[in-house]
Amino acid sequence: MAFGSKLFGWFKGIFGRKKLIRLGLYGAPNAGKTTLANKISMDWTGEPVGVVSEVPHETREVQKKERVVVKVGKKKIIMNLLDMPGISTKIDFEEFLQYGFTADNAKQRAKEATKGVIEAIKWLENVDTALVVMDSTRDPYTQVNITIIGNLEARNIPIIIVANKIDLPESNTKWIEEAFPQHPIVKISGLTGSNIEDLYNSIAKHSK
Amino acid sequence: MNIELEFITSDVLEEHDGEHKMDFILDKIKENKILVVEGSLSSTEEAKLIEATMRSITDKFTGIEVSTLRDKTETGIKDRIIKLLGGKTGGLTVIGPSKLIKQIKKEPQRISVLAEKKQ
Repeated sequence: MAFGSKLFGWFKGIFGRKKLIRLGLYGAPNAGKTTLANKISMDWTGEPVGVVSEVPHETREVQKKERVVVKVGKKKIIMNLLDMPGISTKIDFEEFLQYGFTADNAKQRAKEATKGVIEAIKWLENVDTALVVMDSTRDPYTQVNITIIGNLEARNIPIIIVANKIDLPESNTKWIEEAFPQHPIVKISGLTGSNIEDLYNSIAKHSK
Repeated sequence: MNIELEFITSDVLEEHDGEHKMDFILDKIKENKILVVEGSLSSTEEAKLIEATMRSITDKFTGIEVSTLRDKTETGIKDRIIKLLGGKTGGLTVIGPSKLIKQIKKEPQRISVLAEKKQ
């Protein structure tokens, strides 16, 4: 028994270090979560995670890319990448009409979007590390961002704030630094890949 | 073009627990009222409110705008102990229908609300 236990410990010591982490991408709609998830996935697997669109709530179900292996220096991180639907306090089907949807399709999309928000909230309990993605061209001090961060903090889940869209001239990452000084902030462009290495370093440093 | 504000003490809200608290809030919001509630919702309650809102969304009710000011001195554990002992925590919560609230701007110690009722 003692020998078996030691053997198990030895195997765990060797293989247990390469723990699989569930990395959740959270944020408001159109913060650039799917663009970033695609960038990470393309970098390490050569395949995208989901479809990017200017229409809000394009991601209406949790999109997963399993066993993405990220190498940072000598460290190897194996993760399930979880691209969450954007969290919002309101969904108006009329907003989708502006993008050319028929009334029926817009209503259907709104209905799916409400389910997506609920699913994203439920997943808050099931991630090991969270990237909270914020559009750095917009005021970050919103109730949605505060609620997401508050819920992750309450569960002791490591948070990395991603100040996204730094490629845009109106980007202002200082807003984000001032609003959330208690968490590590990485300034990137998911679209161009600018500073993406900083994000991988931060994931390696802060994830658990 | 009237806009109704309703100010609610924390005692009224504490009479309702869990889901009932969210239903109580949403019922008022659906009556096109802007609520100013004494005390702050916890992060978990905020998430529950968003979930309950999503379940209530229809073609006519499109959701809420919500903003919470927390007492600077509150910490998670301290807040919970105070509540367990029947005490009141600081803070303020503003909640209203998204069709009515045009903009809600939050700062660490201030909330400003711009409301407009469409004719």
